[in-house]
Amino acid sequence: MFKLLRFMRGFRKECILSPLFKMLEAVFELLIPLVVANIINEAIPKGNTRNLAFSCGIMALLGVVGLTCTLFAQYFAAKASVGFTSKVKRSLFKHVTSLSYTELDELGTSTLITRMTSDANQVQTGVNLTLRLFMRSPVIVFGAMIMAFFIDLKAGLVFVGAILILSLIVFGIMCLTIPLYKNVQGRLDSVLDSTRENLTGARVIRAFGLEEKENIKYRKKTEALNKAQRVVGRISAIMNPATYAIVNIAISILVYVGAIQFNVEGLSAGEVVALYNYMSQILIELIKLANLIITMTKAIACGNRIQAVFEVSPSQKTITQEPIKTDNLIEFKNVYLRYKGSPEYSLEDISFSVKKGETIGIIGSTGSGKSSLINLIGRFYDCERGQVLYDGLDVRAYDPIILRDKIGYVPQKAVLFKGSLRQNLLWGDENASDDDLIKAIEVSQAKDILDSKPEGLDFVIEQGGKNLSGGQRQRFTIARALVGKPEVLVLDDSSSALDYLTDSSLRKALRELDYKPTVFIVSQRTASIQHADKIIVLDDGLIVGIGTHNELLDSCTVYSEIYSSQFSTNEKGGNN
Amino acid sequence: MKSKTKLQSGVIKKILSRLKRYWFLIALSLLFAVGSVLLSLYIPIRVGNAIDVIADCFNLKISVDLGINGKILPILIEIGIVAIIIGILQWIMNSINNKITYNVTRDIRNDAFSKLESLPLKYIDSHPYGEMVSRIITDVDQFTDGLLMGFTQLFTGIVTIIATFVFMIYLNWVITIVVVVLTPLSLFIAAFISKNTFKLFKKQSQKRGKETGIIDECIGNLKVVKAFNHEDEFYDEFEKADKELEKASTKAIFFSSLVNPTTRFVNALIYAGVALVGALISMNLLLPGLSMVFTVGMLSTFLSYANQFAKPFNEISGVVTELQNALACAGRVFELMEEESEMPDKSDAISLKNVTGNVTLDNVEFSYSEDKELIKDLSLDVKAGMRVAIVGPTGCGKTTLINLLMRFYDVNDGSILVDSHDIRDITRHSLREGYGMVLQETWLQNGTVKDNIKMGKPDASDEEVISASKACHAHSFIKRLPLGYDTVISDENCSLSQGQRQLLCIARIMLALPPMLILDEATSSIDTRTEIKIQNAFATLMQGRTSFIVAHRLSTIKEADIILVMNKGKIIEMGNHNELLNKNGFYKRLYESQFDFTDKETTED
Repeated sequence: MFKLLRFMRGFRKECILSPLFKMLEAVFELLIPLVVANIINEAIPKGNTRNLAFSCGIMALLGVVGLTCTLFAQYFAAKASVGFTSKVKRSLFKHVTSLSYTELDELGTSTLITRMTSDANQVQTGVNLTLRLFMRSPVIVFGAMIMAFFIDLKAGLVFVGAILILSLIVFGIMCLTIPLYKNVQGRLDSVLDSTRENLTGARVIRAFGLEEKENIKYRKKTEALNKAQRVVGRISAIMNPATYAIVNIAISILVYVGAIQFNVEGLSAGEVVALYNYMSQILIELIKLANLIITMTKAIACGNRIQAVFEVSPSQKTITQEPIKTDNLIEFKNVYLRYKGSPEYSLEDISFSVKKGETIGIIGSTGSGKSSLINLIGRFYDCERGQVLYDGLDVRAYDPIILRDKIGYVPQKAVLFKGSLRQNLLWGDENASDDDLIKAIEVSQAKDILDSKPEGLDFVIEQGGKNLSGGQRQRFTIARALVGKPEVLVLDDSSSALDYLTDSSLRKALRELDYKPTVFIVSQRTASIQHADKIIVLDDGLIVGIGTHNELLDSCTVYSEIYSSQFSTNEKGGNN
Repeated sequence: MKSKTKLQSGVIKKILSRLKRYWFLIALSLLFAVGSVLLSLYIPIRVGNAIDVIADCFNLKISVDLGINGKILPILIEIGIVAIIIGILQWIMNSINNKITYNVTRDIRNDAFSKLESLPLKYIDSHPYGEMVSRIITDVDQFTDGLLMGFTQLFTGIVTIIATFVFMIYLNWVITIVVVVLTPLSLFIAAFISKNTFKLFKKQSQKRGKETGIIDECIGNLKVVKAFNHEDEFYDEFEKADKELEKASTKAIFFSSLVNPTTRFVNALIYAGVALVGALISMNLLLPGLSMVFTVGMLSTFLSYANQFAKPFNEISGVVTELQNALACAGRVFELMEEESEMPDKSDAISLKNVTGNVTLDNVEFSYSEDKELIKDLSLDVKAGMRVAIVGPTGCGKTTLINLLMRFYDVNDGSILVDSHDIRDITRHSLREGYGMVLQETWLQNGTVKDNIKMGKPDASDEEVISASKACHAHSFIKRLPLGYDTVISDENCSLSQGQRQLLCIARIMLALPPMLILDEATSSIDTRTEIKIQNAFATLMQGRTSFIVAHRLSTIKEADIILVMNKGKIIEMGNHNELLNKNGFYKRLYESQFDFTDKETTED
C-alpha cells in the first residue's frame, strides 16, 4: 500500500493542508470549554455582561473559523483522494494492458477488473477519511487530555486512565471481531455461490429432481451464516454500550476529583464543567477513530492487492538480431513452450516452415497444443527454447505492435465490442473505407446478416455482442481480421459455430482473396483443413505428422483416426 | 407518484407480515430503547446537580463534604450505576436487533431460494443471473440493514427529541426556546446538502458505471485487444471516462463531507446561544420578573442537551433516505419472490414407474413469444427404444424440443405423452427422472468429482461410480486429479477442460441409467477420437432406451431411426438417413457440406 503513495506526488499541497486545517478546527473546538468556564467563573458571579457578550462572540467566531477551516480541509481531502485514485487507476490500466498473455493467465482477468474497480474505490474512501479524520480524532482525544492537565493535574490523570481503558476496549473488540468478520464474509460468499450455482444449473438440478435437496443444503448454509453473524454481532454490540458506561463512570470520578481539588486547590465550578465537556468530546472521537481504523485496514488490504498487480512486470523483453535471408515467411525451429506454473511442456520440439501465401491446417484433439502453436506466431507467449522466425527475423526482435499488425487474428471465442459494427470492423485497419468493410463482410459470409440490419454498418453492437448470435458474431470477427488485409490470417477454431455449408463457402472465399494471405486454420474438423497446402497434426504437444491430406491419410495414424472418426470408413469413397 | 406510494405501502405491508414472527423481540427492543434514552438524559441532570454542589460550596465559601453522607458522593455513585444499567440495556437491545436482522435475512433468503427452485425456466432463461443473485444477496442485506437499523435509529431519534424537549422545558423554558428555534437551522442545512449530494452521487454512480463498463470490456477481452494492438485506443476512452468520473466524484465527496462540519457549526451556535441566555438568566438580567433559578449545574446540563438535541434531527434526515433505499431493495426482493411459480403438479398427478419409453407428440404447438411462431402442428410417434435425431443449422430450435420433452416449458397447444400419459398429468419429478440428459453446456456443482457423478443416483457405491467413469473414458483423467474422485471442483473455478467436464456429465448418466435419454450435443467439446470410444459406450446405453439426440456431426446420427431436420424453428424434413438423402432436400445439402467434395473444388480452382 505504501508504495502506492508515489501517486500522491502532485497532491503534496492537499495532503498537508487538509489535515492541517482539520487540526486547526479541532484546536478551536478544544478552546470552547475554556470559554464556557470563563463565563461561569468570571462573567456570571461578577455580573459582567461585557465579558459575557465577548465570550459568546468568541464562541460564535470559533464556530465560523472552524467551519471555514473544515471546508478547506474537506475540499483538499476530496481532491487529493479522488485525484490520487484516478492516477492509480490510469497507471494500472496502462500497466495491465502492457502485460503479456503469460501474466494475464496468471492473474486472471476477473481479478484485474476487481482491482481496478472496487479495490480502487475502497482505497479512495480510505485515503479520503484518513486525510479528514486521522489528524482530527487524535488531536481531540489527546488535546482534551492535555487541556485537562492544564486545568488540573489530578483530573488529567483521570483522563489518562479513561483513555487507556477505552482504547483497550475499542481496539480489543476490533482485533477480536476482524477475523470473525472475515469468517462471516466467507460464509456469505458460499451462500452467494450456491445461489448462482442453482441458477446456472437450473436445468440439470431439475432434470435430476434435486430441488428439495438443494433447498436443504441452502438452508444449512444460511444457518451457518446466521450463526457466524450473531457471534460477531454479540461481541461488537458490546463496544458502544461499554464505552458509554465507562465515559460516564469517568465523568462521575472526574466530578469527585474536581470536588477534592476544589477543597484542596480551589478548583472552580467552571473548570469542573470544562473537564466534563472534554470527557464528553472524547467519547465521540474515539468511536470515530475506531471506524476510521477499520476503513483504513480495508483500504490498505485493497491497496496491497493493487500494488501486487503493479509488481507483476511484463515478462517479454525485446532482443536484437540481424534478419536472415529466407524465402520462408514463418519458421519454427525446435520450439518448446511451457506455460508458467505447468510442469509439462505444452509444445515440444516443434519445427516447420511456411511460405508466403500458403494455407496451413492445424489439427489435433482437445489440449493437443493447436492454439498454443498459433499464439507463438504473434508472440503472445514466448517459447522456452527454440526460435520462431517471421520473415527471417526472430519474433522477439520485433516491436510487438508492428508484428501483430501483420497478423489478422480470429480468436476461438467470438468477441465483439460495444459500438457500431463499423467501429468494430475498423479495428482491423482504421483507415479502411466502407467499401473495404463490406468486401470483408462478404468474404466472411456475413453479408446476409448485414443486409438484415436496416442500420447497415451503423448497427450498434451491445456490450459482449449480446444482440448477435454466436454464429453471427463469429463471422464478424472474421471480417474484422480481414479488414486489415493481413499478411497472415489466423483462424483459431473460428468456424466451430458455423454450419458446414457456411464453413465451406468461407474457405472458398478466402482462397479467392486478391492479396493472397498466408492462412492458418485451426480446427477439429478434417473437412475444414483437408485442402490446406500443409496440414500439421498435433498430439499431446508433439507434431506427429506434416503433409497434405492424402499423404497424411497414408502415413499418419492419428490423422487417419481423426478422419475416420468423422467420416465412417464406408463413406470415404462415397462422395458421389 | 400515487402509484409509487401505493406500491410502497404494499411493500411495507409485506415487510410487516414478515416481522410478525418477531413482534415480541421488536417490542422488547423498543422498550429497552425508550429506557436507555430516558436514563441517558437523566445523567446530565445529575451531573449538573453534582456541579451545583461544588458551586454552592464556592458561593458559601465552605468545603465540599466528600463523605458518603455528604451531598456529592451519592449522586456520583448513582450516575455510575445508571451508566452501567444503560450500558446493559443498550447491549441487550443491540443483541436483539442483531438477532432480528440476521434472522429476517436468513428467512427471506431461504424463501427466495425456494422460489428459485420453483420458478419456471422461462423466467430464469430470460433474466440475467447476476441480477437475480444480487437481489438475493445484496438487496436482502441492504434491506434488512437499512430497515432495522433505520427503524431503530428513527425510533430512538424521535424518543430522544421528545424526551430532551420535555426535560429541557422542565428545567427552563426560555432556554428551551433558544434551542428549539436554532435547531431547525441545522436540519435545513443538512437537508439542503443531502439533496444536492443525492444528485451528485447519482451522477457519480452513472459515470462510474460507464468507466466500469469500459474496464470490463477491455480487460475482460484483453487478449483480443492486444492481438489488434488496440490498447491505446481503449486507454484514451478509459482516460476520458475517468476524467469525467474524477470530476463527479470530487464534487460528490466534497459535498457529502459538508454535513458533519456544518452541523457542528450550528451546534456551536446553539451552544453559544444557550451559554449567553443561560448566563443572562442566572445573572437575573433576562426576564427578571420571572425570577427564575438557573444554576451553573443547570447550564452544564443544558449545554450537553443542546448537543444531543440536534443530533437525532440530522440522523433522521439520513435515515429517511436509508429507509427509502431499503424499501426499494425490499421491493426488488419481493418482486422476485412473487413471480409466478411453475404450475404445481396436479393433485392427482401420477408418478411414472418402470417407464417403457413410448413418447408421442400430438399436434404440438409452441413458441417462446407470441409474435414469433416456432413449433407448429408437430406430431411424432416414438416407440420404446427408438433413436430420434434432431439436426439443423445453429439456432434452428433443436433445444426447444428438449425443453418441451423435459417439461422445462409447457406446450401452448397439443400434448406430449409418455407411456400414453399426458406429461402434464405426471409429476415433474418422476418425468424428469425418466430421462437422462447431457447438455452441450456442461454444469458442475461445487463439490467433489464423486458427488457430481452421483447426482442422479446418490446411493451409488464407489465401485459403481468408477465403473460408470470407466465406461465413458473419464476414469483415466479423474485418476490423475490431485485427489482423484475426491477432488473438489466447481462450475466456475476449475481447471478441467470443456471436454473433461462433458465427460463427467456423461458419467452421471452412465451411473443413473435412466430409461430415456436426451443428448444435446453431448460430445461437442470432446475430440473426435475420444468421441468414437464414447460412442461405443453410448451405443450400448441406447440399446432399448428411447433416445433423443441433437448433434452437429452427422456421422453420429446416421444410425437414428428417425431424423428430424429443423430449420428456422420448424421441422422441414423427417425420415431416416437414406430416405432423407433420397429426398434430395435440405438434409442432403447439409450432409454434403460436411464432406466438402475435394474433387469438385479442385476442378473449380
